[in-house]
Amino acid sequence: MILLTKLSGDTFVLNAELIKYVEALPDTFVTLTTGDRVVVTEPPEEVVRRTIEYHQHKQLMPSATPLRESSGAAWTT
Amino acid sequence: MDIASVVGTIVAFALIGGSIIIGGGTFMAFWDAPSVMVVFGGAIAAALICFPLPNFLGVFSVSMKVFFWKVEPIKDVITQIVSLAEVARRDGLLALESKVAEVENPFIVLGVQMAVDGTRPEVMEDILRTELDAVATRHRDGKAVFDCMGRFAPAFGMIGTLMGLVIMLGDMSDPSKIGAGMAVALLTTMYGAIASNVVFLPFAEKLGFTNRQELLMMEIVIRGIMAIQSGENPRIIEQKLNTFIPPKQRASEEAA
Repeated sequence: MILLTKLSGDTFVLNAELIKYVEALPDTFVTLTTGDRVVVTEPPEEVVRRTIEYHQHKQLMPSATPLRESSGAAWTT
Repeated sequence: MDIASVVGTIVAFALIGGSIIIGGGTFMAFWDAPSVMVVFGGAIAAALICFPLPNFLGVFSVSMKVFFWKVEPIKDVITQIVSLAEVARRDGLLALESKVAEVENPFIVLGVQMAVDGTRPEVMEDILRTELDAVATRHRDGKAVFDCMGRFAPAFGMIGTLMGLVIMLGDMSDPSKIGAGMAVALLTTMYGAIASNVVFLPFAEKLGFTNRQELLMMEIVIRGIMAIQSGENPRIIEQKLNTFIPPKQRASEEAA
């Protein structure tokens, strides 16, 4: 899960598992495996960075223990 | 101003008038006040029964539309959308906001505004299609009044003729008046046929045609705006929209 910003300035959380392409046209278009397209204000490199971070975070997450508030939210920013 | 409709209407009446003169008739022989009352009064009364008052009163502004309603040429609409797509591709979607001030077509403005605001594509398409349906319904209502009067005018012509014949046959004391009475009675049928085929039905057809043009234009705008929003290449958008118009009319068919 990664936190992104729409053109209108609203933030939303995207399921990073669904990302198919990230393109700069010149706005950043994130195409999902579902066929949806989302336009975000973050540059593509930033989307990629957050996605990688999310995946690392996912691997490190210990199972069966509740998330501690201090360890940050369940998505990466 | 659509010259074809104006010329058509004038030519129709001129031909009728011309053939009366060539045929050796006088215009006075073709004038009969009771017949006018029955045909036009009857058609209007029937339309009043069919439609609520606001729709009926709208008929006068709608009839002006027959001559003055012009849809922007499809070619120009496509050119506008492609130029917006180029701006979006060069400077980003947000740059469209400053460009939209130059666009006159309110439907394009609405679409672009939503694209800039980051409206979700499915919501945007839903709103634009609802707008299109509403326009189609309004146009249909305007056309329906003319269709209705076009259907009723000949029937009232027939009714008037029957009334004239009944009156004539009721008083056969002077056989020399029978011919003149028949002529006057038949006038009503003629008024009904003329009103229906020169005014009401052609006006309805014209409104129907312009309505189809406008809906096609809106369909093209919807597809164009949706394509811009999904970041498609301006050339591809142009190709896609050009399929709506015949090859001869396409805007930029540069020979490669």
